[in-house]
Amino acid sequence: MTNQPFRPMGRRDFLRNLAITSGAITIGGSLIAACGGQSTTTVDGLAIGTPDNPIKLPTSIEPIKDGLANETGTLEILNWADYQNPESIAIFEKQFGCKVATSIYDTEEAAIAKLRNGTFKPDLILGMTDTGLAKLIAADLLQPLNKSYIPNFKNVITGLQSPYYDLDSQYTVPYFVYANGIGYRTDRIDKNAFAKNGYDTLWDAQFSGKLGVLDSYRDTLAMAMFRAGNFDANTTDAAIIKKAGDDLVAMREATNPKVDILAYQELSSGNRDINFTWSGDLFTALQYLPEGVSPEVLGFWYPEKTVAKNDFMCIAKGAKAPVLAHQLINFLTDTDNALLNREYVGYQPALESITVDLLISTGTIPESLIDALVTPEKYDAGLAQVSLEPTTDALWLEQWTRFTAG
Amino acid sequence: MDTLHRGLKQANLKRSPGLWAGFAIPGTVWLIALFVIPFYAVACIAFGTIDPIFRDAVPQWNPLAWNFAQAQEIFTSLITGPLRGVAVRTVIYVVCALSLCFLFGFPIAYFLARHAGKRKLLLLVLIIVPFWVNYLMRMLAWVNLLSVDGLFTRFMRNFGVNYNWLDGSPITVILGLVYGYIPFLILPLYATLERLDWRLVDAARDLGANSRQAFRMVTLPLSKAGMVAAGILIALPMFGDYYTNDLLSRSPSTEMIGNQIDFFLNASTEPQKGALLVLALSMFLLLFMSFYLRSTRQQSRQVTR
Repeated sequence: MTNQPFRPMGRRDFLRNLAITSGAITIGGSLIAACGGQSTTTVDGLAIGTPDNPIKLPTSIEPIKDGLANETGTLEILNWADYQNPESIAIFEKQFGCKVATSIYDTEEAAIAKLRNGTFKPDLILGMTDTGLAKLIAADLLQPLNKSYIPNFKNVITGLQSPYYDLDSQYTVPYFVYANGIGYRTDRIDKNAFAKNGYDTLWDAQFSGKLGVLDSYRDTLAMAMFRAGNFDANTTDAAIIKKAGDDLVAMREATNPKVDILAYQELSSGNRDINFTWSGDLFTALQYLPEGVSPEVLGFWYPEKTVAKNDFMCIAKGAKAPVLAHQLINFLTDTDNALLNREYVGYQPALESITVDLLISTGTIPESLIDALVTPEKYDAGLAQVSLEPTTDALWLEQWTRFTAG
Repeated sequence: MDTLHRGLKQANLKRSPGLWAGFAIPGTVWLIALFVIPFYAVACIAFGTIDPIFRDAVPQWNPLAWNFAQAQEIFTSLITGPLRGVAVRTVIYVVCALSLCFLFGFPIAYFLARHAGKRKLLLLVLIIVPFWVNYLMRMLAWVNLLSVDGLFTRFMRNFGVNYNWLDGSPITVILGLVYGYIPFLILPLYATLERLDWRLVDAARDLGANSRQAFRMVTLPLSKAGMVAAGILIALPMFGDYYTNDLLSRSPSTEMIGNQIDFFLNASTEPQKGALLVLALSMFLLLFMSFYLRSTRQQSRQVTR
């Protein structure tokens, strides 16, 4: 299995620079009306829903009616590679007497472009993030959900049942949660090093050539900001952004880091000692451990203040099998099915019922990785990343280029 | 007879004046469809704008409305800014890889053309067969071989070489480029050397040249056109290569211009910068092409004389 869902930028950053849109889009008027007094941040004509200013999205059509029969035939899914367990899908097919066909995307941007021009015509879309949602709504590509088909929605983490990017979950149901932190080899780095040095560990020259950071300018620059004590992951302050760039250049000179999204492979194989990465990568890494190597060699430092995110499932407007699409969302939010799906994907389902105790007691996750789990409390305490206006985004990119251009 | 031929030729030309020009149509259509229009599209993206909502590139099809502000920024960056290091590094890597390709490739092509005898075909096939495997697959195989516990790394430890090949080393990237592109140098070189009139070398030897002099004064000049063509054939894709670096290094310290193009086009909110880098790279590569064209023109002049 590969970790394609977490391709650079595609999932997190590139589309994070887009917003829950209002004024500049064709449905702007209805959005403002639908906002019903909810305040949103408006940047360059874009209305951005944030944790402080959540947004209720407009609905241009009604959800499907209650009590419709399941369609026969094929349910078309659009998903990241290896982001669903084939075994789970086979069970669903058998249970609902249908076929499931999956198309793959590797960046949200490309997927949305293809949805807009009609290349992709899926029923169900998996793995998009809040900034992808902004585009999908702007292009009027989604249909609102009818929750009467999704009784398992109650299993979703309570704090995510009405997320800031989609109040009342009109269009979306959370899929997986993850947070940014540092994965490391416990056989080479003492756990206490992080308590003492925190992010500074990534600047330690002793790990030169054995260290990696995420190929994701928003995540990695934000990490450098957190290290410097600036905890606004969406800062517009040019001096703070420049300082983060300077610090990353210093890191490059000290440690010659790898910049990619391969922590789950490289930590497992032993090619790296330490990697700034997404928490879910450590669970995926378990599957890449060479034979005979204990899962205990993998550890994760979950910073006190860090970015915590989730992705979600949503149904395309004009879906040919909308009932089946609802059924699959319901299927994947069932605890047992979500656990089975997690076994393959690695990441952590966004369900309240899948607790740390459950994951540890079922033996699916070793205790050494308990810190990599995102609990509802951790999620609530997480820092959010939202879209940046173009001029600010250019500042972030400028510093990222300074770092990556060597 | 000459008069008869000339007469027939003139009669043919008169009868079908468009016939010969017509042969150029497929090539012209091909060039327009697959070079001129795409290149124009790249320019329109480079000098265009960005969709404020979807952040896609919005091409500006009217050249009179092209916006050159970003171009100035990118070119400044390439000359004095952050991208300068990448540009210089790319040139150094390609020059090193090209030199190594010639160092290893020329003797192989020479041997195949001159000394392989009956085994020529077999040896050619042996050289080509590994390259039937997809480039990415071959590079991924090397990633495994070169990893800390990889076969190659362990093998080299037997000789006291304990090197972490995948720690973002320029050597690994350059060797990766050599490995990836060398067959495309050997084959055209072999084709050139194989057609070489070796009697000229024999004549040089008869006239007193030793083998080294004969090689330097006869073989090398006669194979110059093939060398230039083969060199350009592999240098052009090397300049735009990004996946070798992606697979074997992924370190900013080995970043090449192709990696920056990939980033701006696929993973940033400024795709027009990627298009501008494509244009900048194309302009740079035109220098190589002009050198090649000049070289072939000189060759044809010499033949005409």
